[in-house]
Amino acid sequence: MLVVKGAKIYPGTGAVLENGVMIIDDQGKIREIGQNQSVGEADQFLDFTGKVIIPGLIDAHTHVGMWGDGEGRSGYDGNESVRPITGEVRALDAVNPRQISFAGAREGGITTIQILPGSGNPIGGLGFACKTQGTVIDDMVVKHPTGLKGATGENPKRAHGESQKQAPATRMAVASMIREYFKDAQIYGDKKKKAEEEGKPFDKDLNLESGLMVLKKEIPFRVHAHRHDDIVTVIRICEEFGIEYTIEHCTDGHLIAEYLGKKNVTAMVGPGLSAASKVETKDITDQNPAILARHGVNVCLMTDHPFLNCRYFLQYAAIAHKHGLSFEDTLRAITINPARALGIEDRVGSLEVGKDADFVVLNGEPFSYKGSIARTYIEGQLVWEREAY
Amino acid sequence: MLGIRDVKIMTMTGGTIEKGNVLLEDGKIRACGRDADLSPCIKVIDGKGRVVTPGLIDAHTHVGLSESGVGREGTDTNEGTNPLTPSLSVRDGINMQDQAFEIFRRSGITTVGILPGSGNILGGTGLALKCKGAIVDEAVLKDPIGMRAALGENPKGNYGGQRKSPATRMGNAALLRGALQKATDYLDKLNHPRDEKGKTRDKDSEALLPVIKGEIPLIVHVHRHDDIVTVIRICKEFGVKCILDHVTDGHLVKDLMKRENIHCGVGPSMHYGSKVENKDRDFRTPVVFHREDIPFCFITDHPVVDGRNLILTASIATQWGLPDDSALKAITLASAQHLGVDECVGSIEPGKDADLVLWSGNPMEYTTFVDMTIIDGEIVYERGMYQC
Repeated sequence: MLVVKGAKIYPGTGAVLENGVMIIDDQGKIREIGQNQSVGEADQFLDFTGKVIIPGLIDAHTHVGMWGDGEGRSGYDGNESVRPITGEVRALDAVNPRQISFAGAREGGITTIQILPGSGNPIGGLGFACKTQGTVIDDMVVKHPTGLKGATGENPKRAHGESQKQAPATRMAVASMIREYFKDAQIYGDKKKKAEEEGKPFDKDLNLESGLMVLKKEIPFRVHAHRHDDIVTVIRICEEFGIEYTIEHCTDGHLIAEYLGKKNVTAMVGPGLSAASKVETKDITDQNPAILARHGVNVCLMTDHPFLNCRYFLQYAAIAHKHGLSFEDTLRAITINPARALGIEDRVGSLEVGKDADFVVLNGEPFSYKGSIARTYIEGQLVWEREAY
Repeated sequence: MLGIRDVKIMTMTGGTIEKGNVLLEDGKIRACGRDADLSPCIKVIDGKGRVVTPGLIDAHTHVGLSESGVGREGTDTNEGTNPLTPSLSVRDGINMQDQAFEIFRRSGITTVGILPGSGNILGGTGLALKCKGAIVDEAVLKDPIGMRAALGENPKGNYGGQRKSPATRMGNAALLRGALQKATDYLDKLNHPRDEKGKTRDKDSEALLPVIKGEIPLIVHVHRHDDIVTVIRICKEFGVKCILDHVTDGHLVKDLMKRENIHCGVGPSMHYGSKVENKDRDFRTPVVFHREDIPFCFITDHPVVDGRNLILTASIATQWGLPDDSALKAITLASAQHLGVDECVGSIEPGKDADLVLWSGNPMEYTTFVDMTIIDGEIVYERGMYQC
């Protein structure tokens, strides 16, 4: 048993615990959390008097471990952009847990991430969620797969139309190829079902299997969209097929916030603090998360690491808070909202009995520069600690 | 005359003045202090106890050159057709309508250093500019501030990939040395004309003459420790001045840095390990520099890290042990020294340019807003004008 005491705890769900107590079992699960727990026979006490504890952060959209961070080109495995439809590829097969980005995530207080393939392909492959500490990726996985990556707008046009003179060269073709993919997956699913019913042998198509999972609502379609019309296109297509989706980036969301609120959209908003690096991101604003939340959009913040270094996820959240996202909404946007959006809220996203003891110890309030991250814990284990330079 | 009353003035050179006044006249700071008389002012801004700092300075950017939200048509950063292009001037590539300038003003940045990219061994001259107006020539504060040079992965990657020199770090150094040698010989010929007929103009050597004569420094892109050592070696060979930008591995060769007392533009510290040569990027570099008294400022390398995060960079540095006042100096006074414009900007002192930022609270705090930005005595941004 490990007893954490003395700190002000923001559990993420429920009321703030001044002088809170958290009891963690040997499996790294929260056994008790509250203010008046009797703490008799603990093996270890951690006294964090004067500190603040928040749940381990969840970065819902990253390329941690797969973008050659500090490794140059040899470590880059982000986009299988030799052809536009690659439903069969899996981010899980390309992640290096020893890459510096994992250490950066721990430094940034991030304990769980979703890792997705890049946005070069209209259909990009499967993503997954994992913890940020470990040496074997399969041991770190929280959930696989968490979604099928899709992409609209400039990136697929550039990766294919411009670079390789092949479709898609326009937004029309991007949409059409996504549609065709899901139509193929529907037909494939019907054939597969028939073969199963008739007990006949059936050749699996791993590309279309991913689409079929989406059609069966086993996983959502997670679609890269910056420009407002691309976001609207994604919603149009997903409604045609009755599939679940999240809007990844949602940069122009503030321009169509009312529409997105009406649709109950979940948006992974980010990368924060970015420059307008493309035409489709020219209207980027730090106010986007606040405007979206005000209109009822389910907002999760994300770094899109490496595009915002995940070390600075909490700073991004602070800036979103500065620009109007309430304290509670900001904390939720980096903890419980992404946990729910990834379907892993039974394990992570808040400090509650039975959940993983993933938490961050701060030297002050979370969205103040005085609230630097002192320590990061995953499943009760210390995984990062600030040391003086 | 414009006055600002009841503000905490963080001067950078004369300490912090509580409940002070600032008097601005003809684009200059006329007076500042508790007793500065604002009675002759036509307009007085009531600071209501808020904070005033010098305008922030981002000493290494590509604003106007690598335009925000424009894509390829707005990219004029690297003349990547020839590794030696010292005769280029960044002034000819700056679009003052780049939307980033407006974002800089909203972020309290009043002066920027703008440099050509780091794709070439010698990229051309850089300049210092005020973030105001539509005409680049009217915004220029100092041109040139120095000659852009680059070592390491960028030049060798750009040209090696095309089967051209430089393809290695040896090639990088040889090209830089060759150009400096040629310019040295050229100057020698100019000084000792032997054969008037045989004299041919060499535009590259011509452009390097101010460097050879010690009038302007080389502003050198370096990340890896051995590239830092190489550039110091080469500059010593030719007796030319240099300042260093990025300097990611600088803390690994801190004794050399200290001995040579070379001014460094550290950053973009918030960026990731985008290359092998910057894999060890973190806030260790500025913290060690501060401890060792190696002169430095922070740079964002906008748009690599968006310039609006300059203040955030300073805030994060304090979490690693940089004192608040040193962090603020590293984006104001030290930046002005880096660019060689500290006679005009970088601190709040009578006689300096009236470039000021009025903050809603402690500038280091994440949630503090820039309430007003003033350049040369003109209010160029006021919060509320653009809020929704």
